[in-house]
This record gives sequence, C-alpha cells and structure tokens, in this order.
Amino acid sequence: MKRINKYYTLKIASVLICLFAAMNVGYGQQPDTLKGITITHQAAADTVSPSPAPSGKKPVKNTFESIWLIDNQTVMIPVKGTFEMDFMHRFGTWDNGYQDFFGLFGGTNIRLGFNYVPKDKLLVGISFTEYNLTWEAYAKYALLKQTQDGSTPVSVTYYGDVAIDTKKEGDYPHFSNRMMFFNQVIVARKINDKFSVQVAPSLTHVNSVQGYYPGDTTSDGKSVVGKEMLHDHFAIAFSGKMQLSSSLSLLLNIDQPITKHKTNNPDPNVSVGLEVNTSAHAFQFFFGNYQYITPSRNNYYNHNDYTSGQWLIGFNITRLWNF
Amino acid sequence: MKSKMMIISMVIVIFIAATSFTFFQQKPWPVPDKNSKMPNPVKSDDASLKTGKAVWSKDCASCHGKSGKGDGSKSASLKTPPGDFTSAAVKGETDGALFYRISEGRGDMPSFKKKIPDAEELWSVINYMRTFK
Repeated sequence: MKRINKYYTLKIASVLICLFAAMNVGYGQQPDTLKGITITHQAAADTVSPSPAPSGKKPVKNTFESIWLIDNQTVMIPVKGTFEMDFMHRFGTWDNGYQDFFGLFGGTNIRLGFNYVPKDKLLVGISFTEYNLTWEAYAKYALLKQTQDGSTPVSVTYYGDVAIDTKKEGDYPHFSNRMMFFNQVIVARKINDKFSVQVAPSLTHVNSVQGYYPGDTTSDGKSVVGKEMLHDHFAIAFSGKMQLSSSLSLLLNIDQPITKHKTNNPDPNVSVGLEVNTSAHAFQFFFGNYQYITPSRNNYYNHNDYTSGQWLIGFNITRLWNF
Repeated sequence: MKSKMMIISMVIVIFIAATSFTFFQQKPWPVPDKNSKMPNPVKSDDASLKTGKAVWSKDCASCHGKSGKGDGSKSASLKTPPGDFTSAAVKGETDGALFYRISEGRGDMPSFKKKIPDAEELWSVINYMRTFK
C-alpha cells in the first residue's frame, strides 16, 4: 500500500510540474519579432507628428539642470505640466567640531516644496520650512530665453516669494508683521556645454524690524524708537555651474549683501557643491553659510560668518513628474 | 524498473522546468503605418549627435545602457527587458517606428512626448542610436 501511494504522489507531482513548466516556456524573442508587425492602433497615429525644421532661434538647452543652485533659484523652468517636489536639508555649522560631529548632529533646518508648471515659462509653488514654521508661496516666470544662434544672448527670469512666519511665539502685534517679501531678477548665460553662469540681484522687504529706544532724535530734541535695520535690503548673487560629466556638475554660489544697515548687517554667503542629475532627479550636496533656506531670511538675517569657520553641510533633492 | 522510470521522468521534467525560466516573452509592439513611414527631419550631424548623446545619457542609459545593449543599471529590475539596440532587428527599424515608441512608451518604457516636448531632441536621440555598434 505504501509503495502504491509513493508512485501516485510522484505522478501527481510530475503532472503539476509539467503544467507549471508549460506556462513559463515562451519564445526566446529578442526584437527580431518586431519586424513585420501589422497595424493595429490607428488612433494613436494622430498623437505624434513630425517636428518643424530645426531653427537657431530655439532656446539653448540645459543652462542649468535644476530650478535650484544650492540656495538660489536658477533661470530654469521645467516643461509645462511638470510637478516637482523639493526636499532641502541644512545641518548645523561645523565650528563646534566633534561635539556635534561637525554640525551633522547639530541644529538642522528642513524645507519641503511643491511646484507646478501650469503653462510654458511659469512655475508656481508653495513650501514649508522648519525654521519658524515658515510657509512660502512663490512664482517664477521666464521673461527671456537665450537662443542657440545668439540673437538673445542671455536668459532672464523673475522670481517672487512671500514668506509667512507661523510660529506661535514672537512679537507679532499684527499678522502682517509675520510677512517677508523677496523679489529677484535672474540673468543667466550658457557660455558653452561646460559652463553656465548667472547673476541675480534681489530685493528683500520685511514688514517688521527690531526697534531700539532711545533711538533717533527728532529736530525738536525728542527721542523716538530707532530701527536696527531698514525694511528693504538689496543683495546680489553670483552663481555658476561647471559640467564635469553628462550627469555630474560642480556648483559655486556667492551671495553679497549690498544695503548697509545701522546694525546687524547680514554676512555674505559662499557655497560650493556637486550636483548629480538623472532623468527625473537632481541631487545637490554642498557646504555653505546659509542655513535658513527661505531666501528672504537668508539674505536679510544670515550671520554665519564664512571667515570664522561657520560653514554647514546641506543637500537638495528635487524630483520631477510629467503629467 | 518502475521507480527507475519515475526518477528519470522527474529529472527530465525538472530540467525542462528549470530551463524554461531562461526564456522570456516579449509582446509585439505594433507601430501605425503612418508613424512607421515618417522620415527623420533632423540631419545626423555633429550637433544632432551631441544633443542625442546628452539626452541618451540622462534619460535612457540607466535602462538601455550606455551603448544601447540593454545593460543599464536599472535593466535587471524591469519586467520587460530593454532589448539590444545594436541588433540587426532594431537597426532594421525605421526612424519613424523608433520615434513612435519613444514618444508613446509602453509598460516599463515611459512616454517621452511630455517630458521632452521638443521632437527635434527625440529625432536626435534616434540619430545617436544609429551610431551604436
């Protein structure tokens, strides 16, 4: 009885294995089968059409690979219908040395951004930053694009940003005191396939500034509250990219304050990093002085002094989807 | 005798089952006749090859490999093998057919008509693909 059961089990197992094998045996087909395929989807034909003849008037490609160059926006706006997510991280400054492992275990700042390109040349977005729980709404528009034939030698893009502090504590008698505004005109040139540069003057406006008393003295000898800083602050940024390979670039950025305030003048920023690009991602890894990420706050309040070793490590990750 | 026959049968069956996984199945990918006959309007000059190479390196090489042999870093994780573009079969495809497949996409192969709306770039990629050996 035992012997008969053993053979019966083996037979059933053999049949099952044969069936399983038959399901998985296919053709060893390489694209040789693609030749001579008949038409089956006429409807799809209308979705594709030949391109117009090439023209030197077309914009140059890939002046920059990302909308970000470390802490500054670039002239780049993705194609229409692109949704982008930004993840930006800044560690603490490394001047504490091993005690906070060169800033990696120190204070951090994080920003999450969500952008969309609803029409050609226009990008809109919102973001949320850890520092002071800052919300931003921003828009970027490509006013001019450098052309391949040189008839338009530069690309010019406008960037506008509104930032709102939403932390509970703080001296904000009115909601408008929480607001800062940032306006920047970015002028870039792709010099050749290896080098691109941009210059970006900016104007930051803060609604609320710190006061001190006794401050200024009026003509009749009265003391009034003085302002530590002006509400408006001009600065200029110089940025550059050097292509090291098809997917790797070296980035350099300098932000120089221009406006002189009575006190608390912000420090310049110098940042250097690397960028790795794939089809849908850009990874930037760098060190610099700006920690706030919010451009108005960076330009107006930065006090990390690059001459005193107050550098920090940071990274930006952007991911694109095309709908 | 019977047990010997069973064992031999089992060995043969197991051999077939094991080797069957070395084959893969590719569904045919038809191209409308109108698209297949579409000529490439972009001349295969240095500028076009440069553009094509740049796009290939960024958007294609991760799956299709640096030289189009289907050996990109992501190729092993794809459900559909990316194929060998140096093969005679692909070389025999028209530019229009290749353009259609790149634009429309299918399965693991994304559609590029929105990501790269400039058709001239896609034609340049095809010019670059023609240089694969």
